[in-house]
Amino acid sequence: MASQRLAIWNAEEDLEEDVDINLALDAYGQEMQYDDSQIPQPQIDESTLIAVQQHMAQQAAFQQIPDAVKSFIVHFHQAVLDNNLAEITVAYESGWNKFTEKYYARTEWPEAELIAPLVNDDPIFLILYRELYYRHVYSRLQPNIDDRFHSYENSCELFNYLLNSDGPVQLELPEQWLWDIIDEFIYQYQVFCTWRSKVTTKTQDELMMLAEGGPVWSSYSVLNVLYSLMQKSKINEYIIATREGKSPEEIAEIVGEYGQRPLYRMLGYFSIIGLLRVHVHLGDFTLALKVMENVELNQKSPFTRVTACHVATYYYVGFCYIMLRRYPDAIRSFVTILNFIMRMRQYHTRSYQYDQINKTADRMYALFAICSALSPSRMDDNIANIAKERYGEQYAKMSRGGPEALPAFEELFTYACPKFITANPPPYEDPAAISALLEAANDPESPAQPSPQTDSTRRHLDLFLADVAAQLQVPTLRSFLKLYTSLGAKKLANFLDADEEELVQEMMVLKQASRSISRVAGSEGTSLLEGQVVTTSDLSFVIDENMVHIAESTVGRRYAGWFIKNTERAQKILDDLKNMPLPVSTKVHGGVSNATPASEPATQNRQTRSTGPKVAWGGVKVAA
Amino acid sequence: MTSEWLTPPTRTELIENLVSGVDRYNPSNVSILEDYLYHQIRSEEYDCLANLAILKLYQFNPDLYNPDVVINILIKALTAAPLPDFNLCISLLDERPINAQLDEPDPLPTVLPVLKELHNLLLRCRFPAFWEAYHSSRLENLRDNYTVEVAGFENAIRAVAIRAVRATFTRIGSERLGSYLNLSGQDLTAYIEKLGWTVDSSTGVVTVPPNPENQIEATVVQESVKLPQLTKIIAHSVAKA
Repeated sequence: MASQRLAIWNAEEDLEEDVDINLALDAYGQEMQYDDSQIPQPQIDESTLIAVQQHMAQQAAFQQIPDAVKSFIVHFHQAVLDNNLAEITVAYESGWNKFTEKYYARTEWPEAELIAPLVNDDPIFLILYRELYYRHVYSRLQPNIDDRFHSYENSCELFNYLLNSDGPVQLELPEQWLWDIIDEFIYQYQVFCTWRSKVTTKTQDELMMLAEGGPVWSSYSVLNVLYSLMQKSKINEYIIATREGKSPEEIAEIVGEYGQRPLYRMLGYFSIIGLLRVHVHLGDFTLALKVMENVELNQKSPFTRVTACHVATYYYVGFCYIMLRRYPDAIRSFVTILNFIMRMRQYHTRSYQYDQINKTADRMYALFAICSALSPSRMDDNIANIAKERYGEQYAKMSRGGPEALPAFEELFTYACPKFITANPPPYEDPAAISALLEAANDPESPAQPSPQTDSTRRHLDLFLADVAAQLQVPTLRSFLKLYTSLGAKKLANFLDADEEELVQEMMVLKQASRSISRVAGSEGTSLLEGQVVTTSDLSFVIDENMVHIAESTVGRRYAGWFIKNTERAQKILDDLKNMPLPVSTKVHGGVSNATPASEPATQNRQTRSTGPKVAWGGVKVAA
Repeated sequence: MTSEWLTPPTRTELIENLVSGVDRYNPSNVSILEDYLYHQIRSEEYDCLANLAILKLYQFNPDLYNPDVVINILIKALTAAPLPDFNLCISLLDERPINAQLDEPDPLPTVLPVLKELHNLLLRCRFPAFWEAYHSSRLENLRDNYTVEVAGFENAIRAVAIRAVRATFTRIGSERLGSYLNLSGQDLTAYIEKLGWTVDSSTGVVTVPPNPENQIEATVVQESVKLPQLTKIIAHSVAKA
């Protein structure tokens, strides 16, 4: 088992060796490289073979492909050959989706082997084509086990081509596509793990293939790809050098021949985000934030250029903070991105990703509601209002605390949490163990074996709910304390019908719930895990033996915003008045209306000013 | 505050490289990390991230799984309350199918609920209840086989209670404090003395030294208007003038 896996450290060494060998080849002469094809040979042999066997059938199938699709593929291929980013983007973002809607809404696109003649059997384009082909299968149709295995093989071929060719490849792809490649790779890994963990629904064939599946979609192989892309592109070194303000020449030297190419640099960036996501799926929230160590979370960071990536990053970072009980940090993360999504809304309504972004946003409103119930703070009013609009009922229950709160927390958490997966498959390679599992599941007498999948989510949910349950009394205590400046512990215990000692201990919980570790201003450029203890509540209290003393910090009335807004409004009205055309009265002499600045925009202030009195005068005259 | 949690000063360079590099995924390094865990246990040190790295290796390589190591990691994580360490560790424990490869029955399924219960008591600051449960005959197995090996375990739990008391109280009755610490008489006096706290000998009331969290003050947060907020208006009026 262990020997079958691609081990990261081993693979890394292999990679190094590969590079060295290639360099050596270069030194020996160019003709050596001629044979050293970048094409994974066996795959082509296999596909040619299949092509021959199914020649007749394929001929017919080829006829079936609409001409528009054929010419689209030819055109798409040409764009890729030319490295014409603009054309590729058009084909990728609009052409593909257009033809999907038109011809392939419910069926697969033509197989890669079928369209191969259209693209001169260009292996690279066929890999890219399959990438799109399988993505379409996963998103629109139900992938079968062959699709799952083949999409893995195709991803491996793509990454092999990128990582193990002689030097960096010349290919260029739009950033959106690069993100989608990484994102889809992780998505397919995640759904494979989910699917794999359900033993009872597998056919005999599937059981056999899974038993022999080896490293297909193993966690190690997925991590291996992401780490290799990061190391090849030297992305962390690049980010650090950029932060330190190194010159472009110095940076080029640091990142080497791979890191200089946009394709590798962006793949490196996206791999970091990909790792963040993988670790969250696996329940490792500290490691998830640790891999983000060098990434600046701000709107200027390169990963924000792809909106889907930008949104995913904040969602997973925010979720990690929740699991680290750092609710203020989670809130900050959600507020930032939700505001961004709101501002971007107008530009994205027609994008094919709009639905997905909207769904993620909706889940983030739910998580935001959870956080603000657990750690009430003066938060962004806009976002808070929308969250309350969507989850008003749950929010009310959660922030009131008590026994009714738990189901509300559970409902929102289950809805909004990421998918959790088990890193390891059921023991498919052990037929005895599998049949034991199957029997247990079929036996109505035995306690129902819950699938490990629901178990993973359940497990994280239970941990979260245990945290929440520990502070269910907090809202009640707060609401009582707000009424007093000092209060005997005994009296408070009587109000709550509780034992005095229990109450005092509960007060320590309240204290605990009123502070949190949080990133502080000026910590930009440090790890996302860094932070300091901050007070999160307006209400502070202290116990002097048995007397509770309470102090509340209040926010003084804010005037500035009101005055600024109204000053601006007044200014605008004044400007509008000045620029308004004089009502043309028939009695007024034409010369007067010419003299008014009515038709001219007030570009010259002096002129505006000098004509000001005339306007007033004119107005008066008309009125009279 | 968290930088010590991220990189404890006691962490060696070897461990640091394992925690921060890709070598953390190499199963052959598990014994280095396990040795480091046992070192933490003997010398009252604690390194959460290094211990999480062990659990990560177990997650990916079920054949490495060693229940005693897992239990020790969880015991160490208990003493970090109210930080989320305990939950972070649990998050990495995948559901594992019945494991026939172990020579002895896996102790984790019986110990885990007990540890969760203890963690819950600590999280809810039910310190007297914690001690009662911990010393009950029900938990004899945990004490005799595990916590007895963890140097300074009880004191580390006391430190959890002290953190809560320090933030909440200005003065606290010594009896109450004793119940949180599971100490009385001479031991309690000595412990309080070591903290540098003072006891009023006539009333038995302990004074907790002032610290940022047990100082309260009613404040009114006044807004401070910054010049940038006004630049638009000023610019506008200047342009018109």
